[in-house]
Amino acid sequence: MKKWISLSIFLAALLLTACSNSETGQEFTNITNQDWEEIEASAEGSTVRLFMWGGDEGINQYIDEWVTPQLEDTYGVSLERVPMDTGEILQKLQTEKQAGKQDGTIDIVWINAENFKNAKENDLLAGSFVDVLPNFNEYYDTEDPAFQTDFGTAVEGMEAPWGKVQFVFHYDSEKIETPPASFEELKTWVEENPGRFTYPNAEDFTGNAFLRHVLYANAEQPSDIYEQPLDEEQISEAAEGTWTYLNDIKPNLWRSGSHYPNSLTELDRLYSQGEVWMTMGYNEARAESLIEEGVFPESTESFVMEPGSIGNTHFLSIPFNSTNPEGALAAINFMLSPEAQLEKLKPDYWGENTPISIDRLPEEMKQKFQSVDRGESVLSQSELEESFLPESEAAYVEWMEEQWFNEVVQQ
Amino acid sequence: MKKSTFSLFALILFLFPVFMLVLQSVSETWRFQSGEGIQFQLDSFDVLLSDPNLWEATGWSFLIGTVVLLINLVIGLGTGKALTLYSFRGKSLVEAILLAPILIPVLAIAMGLHLFMIRVGLADTWLGVVLIHLVPTVPYSIKIFHNAYRQLGVSMMEQPLTLGSSPLYQLFTIELPLMKPAIRSVTFLTIVISLSQYAITAIIGGGNVITLPMIFFPFLDTANAAIMAAFSIWFSFLPFGMYVLVEGALLLLPYSKKPWRISQ
Repeated sequence: MKKWISLSIFLAALLLTACSNSETGQEFTNITNQDWEEIEASAEGSTVRLFMWGGDEGINQYIDEWVTPQLEDTYGVSLERVPMDTGEILQKLQTEKQAGKQDGTIDIVWINAENFKNAKENDLLAGSFVDVLPNFNEYYDTEDPAFQTDFGTAVEGMEAPWGKVQFVFHYDSEKIETPPASFEELKTWVEENPGRFTYPNAEDFTGNAFLRHVLYANAEQPSDIYEQPLDEEQISEAAEGTWTYLNDIKPNLWRSGSHYPNSLTELDRLYSQGEVWMTMGYNEARAESLIEEGVFPESTESFVMEPGSIGNTHFLSIPFNSTNPEGALAAINFMLSPEAQLEKLKPDYWGENTPISIDRLPEEMKQKFQSVDRGESVLSQSELEESFLPESEAAYVEWMEEQWFNEVVQQ
Repeated sequence: MKKSTFSLFALILFLFPVFMLVLQSVSETWRFQSGEGIQFQLDSFDVLLSDPNLWEATGWSFLIGTVVLLINLVIGLGTGKALTLYSFRGKSLVEAILLAPILIPVLAIAMGLHLFMIRVGLADTWLGVVLIHLVPTVPYSIKIFHNAYRQLGVSMMEQPLTLGSSPLYQLFTIELPLMKPAIRSVTFLTIVISLSQYAITAIIGGGNVITLPMIFFPFLDTANAAIMAAFSIWFSFLPFGMYVLVEGALLLLPYSKKPWRISQ
């Protein structure tokens, strides 16, 4: 009996101590107020744990084989990559927040869009830090709206831009001579080639982006959507046009539109087997590694259509209970450096575009960036920039999910 | 069923899919519609073996799976026997409560348990992961052993008692040898369930404990079927290996037919 009493006292004591911490914000500001040299000095010799989605061997190898050894050499910081889905990371942080756990296991998270919005709203991030990063201030256009808002959520310096991707369509140039240049032409193409096109359903990240492109195309101009917060009445006309368009192409989709792929992976598999002749996705260079692995046919190329293609930025951030914020700052600063961004741009590992401002780089570096051959399937930088369209607010994603089901699937 | 029919079904339902999986893991994307044949490659295994976490993760999965299995056997045997031997008021209620964890999704209780584990200091440790893996496994073990004891019958347990056997001696000489099928079921079920927990392992293990699914599951998003197949084959070695170990342990029980002894 005595044992039980002491055990419950012990547990109660734990509960009490756990609930008495709330000075994170202040502590983090103290850290970011230091000089950069001091931050670097205290980062040296420490370990930083980077939690990120781990489902792409190119990205994993970029971190394991390039970033980790380089970071060790430059800053003496050892980086540990931990594969975990962002949803689980946020749930873990949320519970730790509730329990008042101040010594977390995560130092850096890879994040954007709705996840960032959730993390920010629930105070799961350490605070504003991008202003202290020398590489960010020197080589990035700090005023760029793409770094100021993330799917309509104000960034406020709480995450640093790591990469940017743009939505493109892929096609097999052996089967299609000239890809469609607008959504109208796509419609005609689908009619002429029944069963050779489909898109992932609206719950999928990519499928939803495709649908938002259709919405952009049916508005007076795309900025009517991405500059406006979601107002169903205001966009009712564009929405009508979108549903009509989708219902028109439906009978000529793969399996007559009775079934949509559940994920981009499914669509990619259909494309890789030659069932459908087009696929799509964020990251304009993603076909390169798939071609090299022999998953996509070698004749795969990409295209964008009028009125443009949506692109977004993804970021690195620091959670509220990181035990090594100095190390995290040093590591993020390094991952934003021209050298790291250049290696990321090369198709060897990842082949992903950089948010860096090429104009601000020293001449030699500039040339290196411009001479990177991203691969045959990737559109030219100017073509991508010309067609670039920003993301709309995160609320559109949810709206599209619900409406698509009612207006298209159930028709 | 005739033996030949059985072999035929085994071939179609088991051997053929396994063969396809192995074939997929060493070949490039299949494009049969376009008239291409199969092209072989070994890159998928390169990717698999180049993952720096692979061996560590396999080790963690093995350790956690083994401990979860041992605890399951202890709890399952004890509870199963108690439920068979004793009758008391509210027994069906107790049985229902013991089964409850598999009726409620584990993720729904994971958050509450995570909170608790943070407070007692078990979060981010492998012991915490073992505990959370007990939630979706123990109810099955209890159910299986409860049934096994019921089939054995109360008289079978009263007999050794009247002859003066100690409970432990009785367990090893009578109960375990007679309940081998139940032990096999529990072994397989427990290991497979424990091995395939992704979300709860990620949350409770906090990235300190990297198990196989944590490397494996994100690759479900890849269109490269060969990599998926290679991972699946690697994945299947663990339960298979542990099953063989348990079979070996079962041979040590008294009254077991030893394969190295020629039977009459």
